[in-house]
Amino acid sequence: MTIGISTYLIYLSISIALTIWVARTLHKNGRVFLVDVFHGNEALADSVNHLLVVGFYLINFGYVTLALKLGYAVTSAEQSIEALSVKVGMVLLVLGGMHFFNLFVFSRMRRRSHVPQNNQPPVNPDTFTATAVHQEA
Amino acid sequence: MQALTVLYDPECGLCRRAHEWLAEQAKIIELKFVPCASDEARKRYPQLNHDLTKQDLTVVDDLGWVYFGPKAWLMVLWALARYRDWSYRLAAPELLPTTKRVVSMISQNRYQIGRVAGLTR
Repeated sequence: MTIGISTYLIYLSISIALTIWVARTLHKNGRVFLVDVFHGNEALADSVNHLLVVGFYLINFGYVTLALKLGYAVTSAEQSIEALSVKVGMVLLVLGGMHFFNLFVFSRMRRRSHVPQNNQPPVNPDTFTATAVHQEA
Repeated sequence: MQALTVLYDPECGLCRRAHEWLAEQAKIIELKFVPCASDEARKRYPQLNHDLTKQDLTVVDDLGWVYFGPKAWLMVLWALARYRDWSYRLAAPELLPTTKRVVSMISQNRYQIGRVAGLTR
């Protein structure tokens, strides 16, 4: 096995392991949010949670696959480590971005689901007029 | 409060477009649309100054409380599920003067805006 191929394999195993770890964290901790968003409807929360995680996997594995190519020959261990640092660093940043995006989606859904409790009109009326109902009464 | 009656200007393209938009929105409070200064409006509110309702949007709640101009706009926003939060934000003391200025400006120029936007009949 050449040093180039081992670089690719190490890159793939680190990226895949990281993606799985982040997705599992999201799956485990996002559930509480979603149950709250769907007002305790656990079946729906689990379903949405699963769909979100599938999307997360698809986007991240898609990125990992596309970013695999190095474009130059790796001939020494130093070069291999440097190449890995760039590639894995990019994967980490994409994962981080996706993770925050997911958090944003969760918090947005949560905010949306809260029906405004405040029933006071925002402004005071200007005047009063008798309505037809008043007249009949 | 269960319902708001909106006295709108049927002559203005912008108002008709706004009416169509409002019809599609999810509402917390029912909105009834009555052309301003029409026979129906006069029948419903015999004591209201109907010349005033022709100048600016007017909203009357089911108890008979009347909101004119910018306040009427805020009340309509307040009736919508998606925009109730916004009605409070725009009615906050820091923002209310700006809200009133912008709304009055749009209201006074509603025919021109409607014409420019191609909303004429």
